[in-house]
Amino acid sequence: MNTKKTILIVDDSELNRALLEDMLSADYDILEAENGLVASRIIQEHEMDICLMLLDIVMPVMDGFGLLKLMNKKGWIKHIPVIMISAETASTFMDKAYGLGAVEYISRPFDERTVRHRVDSNVILGEKQRDLSSRLAAQIYEKEKDNRLMIEILSHIVEFRNGESGLHVLHVHAITEFLLQQLAKTTDKYDLSPKRITLISNASALHDVGKITIPSEILNKEGKLTAEEYEIMKSHTLEGAKMLEDIPFRSSEPLIKESYEICRWHHERFDGSGYPDGLKGEEIPISAQVVALADVYDALTSRRVYKPSFPHEQAVNMILKGECGAFNPLLLDCFKSCHKELERKLKQVSFDDAAENDINNTLVRTLKNEGTEVSNRTIKLLEHERNRFKILSSLSREVIFEYNAVPEMITFSDWCAEFLGLPVTIYNPADSEFGKKVFAKKDFKDLIAKIKATSPENPSIIEKYLLDIKGAKTWCKVYVRTMWNDNDKPELEGAIGKIVDVNEEINEIKYLETEVEKDFRTGLLNYRAAKQRINDLLANAGKRKFALIMFDMDNLKQANDTRGHLFGDEVIEHIAKVARENTRDEDIVARIGGDEFIIFMEYKRSIEAQIKRIFKCLTQEFTDFKISVSMGIACTEGGITDYERLFARADTAAYAVKKSGKNAYRFYDETMKNILK
Amino acid sequence: MTVEECYEVMKGDYQDVLSRLRTDERIKKFLIKVLSDPSFAQLCSAMESKNMEEAFRAAHTLKGVCKNMSITNLAYSASNLTEALRGRQEYGEDLEPLLKKVKKDYALTMACIQML
Repeated sequence: MNTKKTILIVDDSELNRALLEDMLSADYDILEAENGLVASRIIQEHEMDICLMLLDIVMPVMDGFGLLKLMNKKGWIKHIPVIMISAETASTFMDKAYGLGAVEYISRPFDERTVRHRVDSNVILGEKQRDLSSRLAAQIYEKEKDNRLMIEILSHIVEFRNGESGLHVLHVHAITEFLLQQLAKTTDKYDLSPKRITLISNASALHDVGKITIPSEILNKEGKLTAEEYEIMKSHTLEGAKMLEDIPFRSSEPLIKESYEICRWHHERFDGSGYPDGLKGEEIPISAQVVALADVYDALTSRRVYKPSFPHEQAVNMILKGECGAFNPLLLDCFKSCHKELERKLKQVSFDDAAENDINNTLVRTLKNEGTEVSNRTIKLLEHERNRFKILSSLSREVIFEYNAVPEMITFSDWCAEFLGLPVTIYNPADSEFGKKVFAKKDFKDLIAKIKATSPENPSIIEKYLLDIKGAKTWCKVYVRTMWNDNDKPELEGAIGKIVDVNEEINEIKYLETEVEKDFRTGLLNYRAAKQRINDLLANAGKRKFALIMFDMDNLKQANDTRGHLFGDEVIEHIAKVARENTRDEDIVARIGGDEFIIFMEYKRSIEAQIKRIFKCLTQEFTDFKISVSMGIACTEGGITDYERLFARADTAAYAVKKSGKNAYRFYDETMKNILK
Repeated sequence: MTVEECYEVMKGDYQDVLSRLRTDERIKKFLIKVLSDPSFAQLCSAMESKNMEEAFRAAHTLKGVCKNMSITNLAYSASNLTEALRGRQEYGEDLEPLLKKVKKDYALTMACIQML
């Protein structure tokens, strides 16, 4: 196994990188980047492997300061010590670099001993820091776990006497936390920092601690309490508050203070109708208001000795209608808009998870505040995931890409890159071949806009685009799922996307569509399809001129009789072929019955010449058989713009031909009006 | 020509580079890399197209490379040009003598290295 540590050298001059590499390669593995942007890509992939970075300042694309800023934004600066190497000796440069988190500054020309010494000592320092912070994390974890455990033991004692399952405390905790988080999103009226939300949620576990003083006959009485018993029951609020108040020397602890308020006032109501103090409106601390709502909701949806459990919807309605006392309208609004999610969340609550989640949250937050790294484990996991993703995507032979929001770049697996004929990493994709050629420019813009419009709650996009894959225009579905960081206000980190070729699917549909429209013997359009298309054209005709030509064969019977039915079929197919060959692609040619055909075509000045040619071609000999057709033509020029009337006229004209000796063509004119009568 | 002689002719600081890179062999290895370093060519073409920002970067890199190799003479003239280009938006005639000096020193340096 390779146990060498890795150093990233970022310098635009290859010679300088080579010099440094030469000095360090005996003891370290070296990664190189020629500018800040390339370096950021490498860090993203190897964050946990890189134990130190040597960074130049003046570089193209993204300079050293740009990279340092990015490292701050991404939190990398906490893991990776940065030594600046530059010929700039101005103190403003040094100050700026130190200000952005660089640990050392080596000025050019550097000598081997200095470089090696500083690199070695900073690597060791970094190791120690990492070791310490993981120990710190472990300690905080243990401490928090113990704290939570004590609170849980206490509250379970209460519930045990109460004959409740113990889930009540967890539920109230979860509901309180969730409601407070939602409330913090909708208003900044209350001081609801993440830290305070955790504090209140933890304190909520103690809301019924005063019940320990209530005789269990009353506590667990089935049926209605007498007035006197009810008064005793109500005293659990003041008793609980008193117990907390009496804790020696600790009354100023925030947890005790929050717990006190919750114990005392979680039965107060917004209109002043609650107990024990009859506080009104915002006189009731927000902590107690939220716990009160959580308590009521969980009581409604749980079975108690004196009542069955209500389903979620009913409980929500009862609360919103004020059947369980008045609550802060702001809080009710918030509850109303998030109760569905709340229901989902509560289904996931179980004993272990709750504690674990909470402790991890505290841990992450504490460490964040302490300014140390989050958790090495998380990053390791992330890296592991990324590798898995890479392997899977190269195995699946699907075009999968990763989009990174800041700095903007797109990465493919090796296989995908080769398949698309693009590099593995594309910086500034909107200006790359991927964003301008594979995607049409406006499609790519559209996709990025859609990515930016997603949210952590709705992170998925499915869109269809016509892509250019190695020169072939292909309809593709693009599936994208965006990823968000877990800041209080989540920011877009990037997205994973998949491109699926749906060209075949679409071609198949198109094929089926045209199949449906076809006359199966001749391959021409059938009557229905032709009529549909003609109507479409007529509807948008404007000043364009069209002619409808209708013809049938005069002597099909003769063909069948003298040379057999197979020959009759051949003649029909021949006529179809001739009709198709003598018209343009945009003209409509259809067989509408046994030996009846129509042609619908646009013309500019006169159509007579075309008609004459078509007629002549149709009526030539086919394997010694002289074909005869009667053809009638109707034009839109006379102001006829609907298919039915146009067809009737063409049909009439054809009929007129039949009556006057067949095998000719005639245009419809008014004199034919009465011919059918 | 020995490495030391080479430094003498191209007006570099042999003692300095030796103290940092320690062996003649290594110094030679990197001197040869200087031959293929693109920053001088980049500097010339950026000056020609009057792209001041790029010219600054190239001059700066050239200076860094020379400093690393203790090619004092060229490092000095490249440094002068770098400073004249720093923060500059527009080309001016005053840059020409500085560029000319860099070109002259560069030619000398290359000739010396090639004789190694």
